[in-house]
Amino acid sequence: MNMRLKLAAALIPLGIIIAAVPENTTKPFRLTATQLLDEVKEGAQFITTDQVARMVIEKDPSLRLIDLRTKDEYDKYHLPGALNIPISEILSAENEDIIHQGTYMNVFYSNGTTMANEAWMLTRQLGYVNNYVMQGGLNYWAETILSPEKPAETSPDDEFARYDFRKAASGALGGGSLEVKTDDAAAAPVPAVQSRKQKKRVAGGC
Amino acid sequence: MGPLIVYEQISSQTNLLLALVIGVGFGFVLESSGFSSSRKLAGMFYGYDTTVLKVFFTAAITAMLGLLFFSLFGWIDLSLVYVNPTYLWSAIVGGAVMGAGFIMGGFCPGTAFCAVSIGKLDALAFIGGLVIGILIFTEGYPLWENLYKSSYLGEPTMNSLIGISRGVFGLLLILAAFGMFFVGEWAEKKFPRDEY
Amino acid sequence: MHTDRSRKYLNPYIGGVLLGLVLLAANFVSGRGLGASGAVKSAVVSGMEVVAPSHVAATEYYQNYNASHPGGLFKNWLVWEMIGVLVGGLISGAIAGRLKFKVEHNPKITSKTRVLFAVLGGIFFGFGSQLGRGCTSGSALSGMAVLSVGGFVSMAFIFGTAFALAYFARKLWL
Repeated sequence: MNMRLKLAAALIPLGIIIAAVPENTTKPFRLTATQLLDEVKEGAQFITTDQVARMVIEKDPSLRLIDLRTKDEYDKYHLPGALNIPISEILSAENEDIIHQGTYMNVFYSNGTTMANEAWMLTRQLGYVNNYVMQGGLNYWAETILSPEKPAETSPDDEFARYDFRKAASGALGGGSLEVKTDDAAAAPVPAVQSRKQKKRVAGGC
Repeated sequence: MGPLIVYEQISSQTNLLLALVIGVGFGFVLESSGFSSSRKLAGMFYGYDTTVLKVFFTAAITAMLGLLFFSLFGWIDLSLVYVNPTYLWSAIVGGAVMGAGFIMGGFCPGTAFCAVSIGKLDALAFIGGLVIGILIFTEGYPLWENLYKSSYLGEPTMNSLIGISRGVFGLLLILAAFGMFFVGEWAEKKFPRDEY
Repeated sequence: MHTDRSRKYLNPYIGGVLLGLVLLAANFVSGRGLGASGAVKSAVVSGMEVVAPSHVAATEYYQNYNASHPGGLFKNWLVWEMIGVLVGGLISGAIAGRLKFKVEHNPKITSKTRVLFAVLGGIFFGFGSQLGRGCTSGSALSGMAVLSVGGFVSMAFIFGTAFALAYFARKLWL
């Protein structure tokens, strides 16, 4: 018997078995309250304004910004390329394809952090992934990216490197023209750079 | 549970060491299957030697079956395995350019390294070409940035595109592969060539 | 001649199963497939840093690459894997008695022509592998094992184009 037939005799039955059994889906679809609390404590949903600015400038095609404010506010100012889904409509049927998907990295933002974080908790509780929160919201965006503050002379080098990046980003993204509004419940907290310790896919490829 | 590196069961140093071990296996299998010969590689496109087709597809279906069974037994979390992102147009144009390179050079990057290890000087020239080609890409990046990033589709898999389960698609792929092997063996008998 | 060849090389189906197991091991251990052109790219970027550091610092592409590949050349998974390939190929070649410096070419063309086309092919392949995000091993083979649409598209267009152009390149091989 030649090798092709031997191999076929081994692999085709295995293929039939794998086609017949259901896929192993060990992941729970919905999160329990405790699981959600664990994720909240971990804070892995947060993306810094620096990270967002970098992705916007690099035109990273996987980034999708979602503006949670009302249509009026969105029309007045929004980040480049952002979609508008007012938070009251976040669970409506026509938006499900946007927030429940595996293609893009959705980044929620509003003026502060609270609304975006609420949207994240709603979607996360439903078991959806790939949704993130821009920490500090537009207020912090204006403060850090559009009009960055020069660090003190005694600051460590990486402070200066961050300042240089922010200044460059500010130029690229049309800095200084944003009116800052603070109708969101929470004023922007000062976010520390979160260590994103989450089981992440390995970056591979050739 | 795998992947081991993601579940932090091995350190990143060990991961690099295992990369070396996996590479040794990769190189050994490529060389002993005859992938160090450009004549054998190019043979696929003229039908006189379809080794490439056989090895390539057997490897793809073996690894795929292995992953599906590992997932079934709960040994590996497939959602943490790297799936190549799909950028349709850059994959099409890039693939076509690579195909042209393949028929002219007679190697692909992996097989060229394998051929260099046993002293093929044409493979060394091919690797020199690779360096130039990559330099052209990196230096001229702004020129093709738009093409490079166009039509991003996320990380879709074939089965989700067609709307069937992974297992059923796997079975279809296995059957298709054996169909191609049959045609390949027929072609080898029909277009024989002498060794040189 | 056929019997001679089958003695020298591994049966392609056995080779394929073994290669599949290597690929499976790579996925199980490191959560990724095999690759080759990425190692060359890492070497190119590192080389540029030595040759023209100011140019690298001023070019956005290199900066992005270095940001996404921290640690440089010897922290790169693919670089170690390709060093392994050189070792593995050498071992297999030594066992089978195939170690020899030569330019393998069709007797109808000169070795100069062969080398010229090898370089040209390399340039195309190098460029294409960057545009297509991976070569035959990194994109097509590894992508197919995880059923990635991108992997299947790359595979179809690499082999499809090579088949389509085979007629024009026949003098090189037949």
